[in-house]
Amino acid sequence: MARARSPVHLLVFFASLTAAVSLTAAQEPPKVSPARNNPHLGNKESIRSGLALYRVRCADCHGLDAKGYRGPDLTAILGDMPDEKLFQTLRKGVPGTDMPASTAPDDELLLTIAYLRNLNAISAAEAPSGNVDNGQRLFTAQCTGCHRVGMRGGRLGPDLTRIGAARSRSALVREIRTPAEWFPPGYETVTLVTKDGQRIRGTRKNEDVFSIQVMDMRERIQGYLKGDLREVIYETESLMPSFTTARLNDSDLNDLIGYLTTLRGSDSSVR
Amino acid sequence: MRTLLLAIVASITLAAQGAAPQVTPQDLLDGLKDPGKWLTYGGDYNGHRHSPLAQITPENVGQLTAQWTFQTGTLGSFQTTPLVIDGIIYATGYNNLAWAIDARTGRPIWRYRRNLPEDLHNCCGAVNRGFAVLGDRLFMTTIDAHLIALDMKTGGVLWDTELADFKVGYSATVAPLVVKDKVIVGIAGAEFGIRGFIDAYDAQSGKRAWRFFTVASPDDPIGGRTWPPNSDAYQRGGGSIWVTGTYDPQQNLVFFGTGNPGPDYYSNAREGDNLYTASLVALEADTGRMRWHYQFTPHDVHDWDSTQVPVLADLTINGQPRKVVMFANRNGFFYTIDRVTGKVIVAKPFVETTWAKEIGPDGRPVLLPGHLPDEEGTKTCPDLGGGTNFMSPSYDPTSRLFFVTARETCATYFAFDQKFKPGEQFESGGTTRPRDQKNFGALRAIDPVTATMKWEFRYPSVSSSGVLTTASGLVFAGDGDGNIMAFDSRTGKNLWHYQLGFAMRSTAGTTYMLDGRQHLLVPSGSMLTAFALPAGVAR
Repeated sequence: MARARSPVHLLVFFASLTAAVSLTAAQEPPKVSPARNNPHLGNKESIRSGLALYRVRCADCHGLDAKGYRGPDLTAILGDMPDEKLFQTLRKGVPGTDMPASTAPDDELLLTIAYLRNLNAISAAEAPSGNVDNGQRLFTAQCTGCHRVGMRGGRLGPDLTRIGAARSRSALVREIRTPAEWFPPGYETVTLVTKDGQRIRGTRKNEDVFSIQVMDMRERIQGYLKGDLREVIYETESLMPSFTTARLNDSDLNDLIGYLTTLRGSDSSVR
Repeated sequence: MRTLLLAIVASITLAAQGAAPQVTPQDLLDGLKDPGKWLTYGGDYNGHRHSPLAQITPENVGQLTAQWTFQTGTLGSFQTTPLVIDGIIYATGYNNLAWAIDARTGRPIWRYRRNLPEDLHNCCGAVNRGFAVLGDRLFMTTIDAHLIALDMKTGGVLWDTELADFKVGYSATVAPLVVKDKVIVGIAGAEFGIRGFIDAYDAQSGKRAWRFFTVASPDDPIGGRTWPPNSDAYQRGGGSIWVTGTYDPQQNLVFFGTGNPGPDYYSNAREGDNLYTASLVALEADTGRMRWHYQFTPHDVHDWDSTQVPVLADLTINGQPRKVVMFANRNGFFYTIDRVTGKVIVAKPFVETTWAKEIGPDGRPVLLPGHLPDEEGTKTCPDLGGGTNFMSPSYDPTSRLFFVTARETCATYFAFDQKFKPGEQFESGGTTRPRDQKNFGALRAIDPVTATMKWEFRYPSVSSSGVLTTASGLVFAGDGDGNIMAFDSRTGKNLWHYQLGFAMRSTAGTTYMLDGRQHLLVPSGSMLTAFALPAGVAR
């Protein structure tokens, strides 16, 4: 049976507990970031190793030149980011984005940092340019039918609530001018032809040998058995029209991108 | 009274000792002769995964129906080949869990759970590829690099032997191969700079009988000069073993495919052919002495482990009977090799390969330029996952066709110098998928006499499923999207499919008779599913 403790006993107990915790804290000083003493900075061989690591693990999203592809332009971010913070980002990733955590050895992260710090193009963060209000008007008129920002807009195209944090300016230009150059997974264009000749156009959400799942132009998600179809046509064109200069002049494009770069909202699916 | 007690004790002892062992060495030699049993990783010592059962046919396979499912209730996927003995299924799972399961109902009878350390090092998940069996004992390797023997009746541990130190990167996932009184296993961990080996242990005591290093030491008269001189590079030279080998009783030889050299991608770290990595080795079963070796990929720099199943068969080639070993390799070539001499009879690509023009008359690949990984990256086909991988193929000795899950892939390979630290990953490079690359998978039927494809069935995505064939002319295989499918083995026509909810990985289905009905047992994700024909159809 537990014995009841008096207030004096409790005080002594908590005092000793506090002392023990303080002692433990004193014995285990906060860990120094490995990036504080990075032996690879400026080392030619290390930078070449860092280049290979960057290309294996980072270039697919951030581009071979680190100016951003599907992920942000690193040359615009890293100028203001200390190495310790960069190391932590590489190690832990960025919650709510496609940037994953890493289990690679510390040394490999330090090599990657050495490579990134050697890039000549590190610059101050890219300030939004263009007329943001006009950009928003253009977006509402031309884009919201298919793209969603926050709780408003269509669902046929990708959600753009965080697009300003996820894309470089050059990537946005490319995806507006020539959207068929790259389809995000789940947004490939397909046309299904039923046995009675009906055509169903939409984006491919999933597929296996026997079935295909799509969102059609009316935003209806539906699965089809391939055995019930005459044909599945995998199109090379995007459902998004190519906004060439005839359709969107350079000034309006600049305004539209100015607006898109302000879209850095939180992902509602991440708590 | 004393006499009575003695009589009781004697009868109990007699009962305990008198029960015949459930699996004898002869049973293992007999392979799938007993229709109620599946006793080894490959079904038989040849690695055929070809069942003589014929109740399920091309005509009635469309009526196959799920009978029950078993869920592990834990994270992680099956890569096991379950054993089936007298109505009980013995299966290993993720994190070294293992079960005995009632084959009639899917209800578990016992569960084994290993108390694994927290600081494990493994490149590719805490997977396990299955039990081996002898007598009343089951044998299993563990992710912390041990070999254990379990009591088949209870799952209790009978002995536990350390293979190597897990703290510096050694691990074990292979299903053991039992030959006579020995349990033969290999070690994994090449991505951590280990030196690989194949071991044999006494099934009774767990004591080591022999060891063969898959990375030659400097004093090895054959392989010693294939590593950098005056260097300890061989000490971290890789050569993992993580797929079960096969056994030829006539020659008393075991055959194992060996893993990639370490570090995986950086050529300068290990100049030379790097024997006996990325090779097929033929070892005497009683001593571990090497009879011959054949290296598929000398000085591999693309992580192309040759850890595929060496499949044994007797073929007639150019009018001559030949004892062969067939090997669909991760490097993209299919080989038919004389298993007495180790010489290549025929070898051709079975997927797109860009790194070698052909296999030359001397058995070495004729390399094409521009495929050495570096810091800038070089594109090569196939990718690091290979033309095929750890998924088991199947061979039908009646149609003389070899069935394999093929992968059509390419990658950009990178390499760089890296300092070795024990316990840390040591790959010295990596890969990316080129942006314009469209990967896909296929089930392919290959004629091993000519190494040419007879038919294929394509999948939209790559698959890691093994293959099973039956004497009724069926091929069972899985795609990369969760379907188990049946095909006509002569034509490749799809006859049946069932969406399992998770793709089969490494494993293939197994089949056995139970209560007069042929069953198909399929591991996928954390689930086992048993199929059979409806009672009225199964005759």
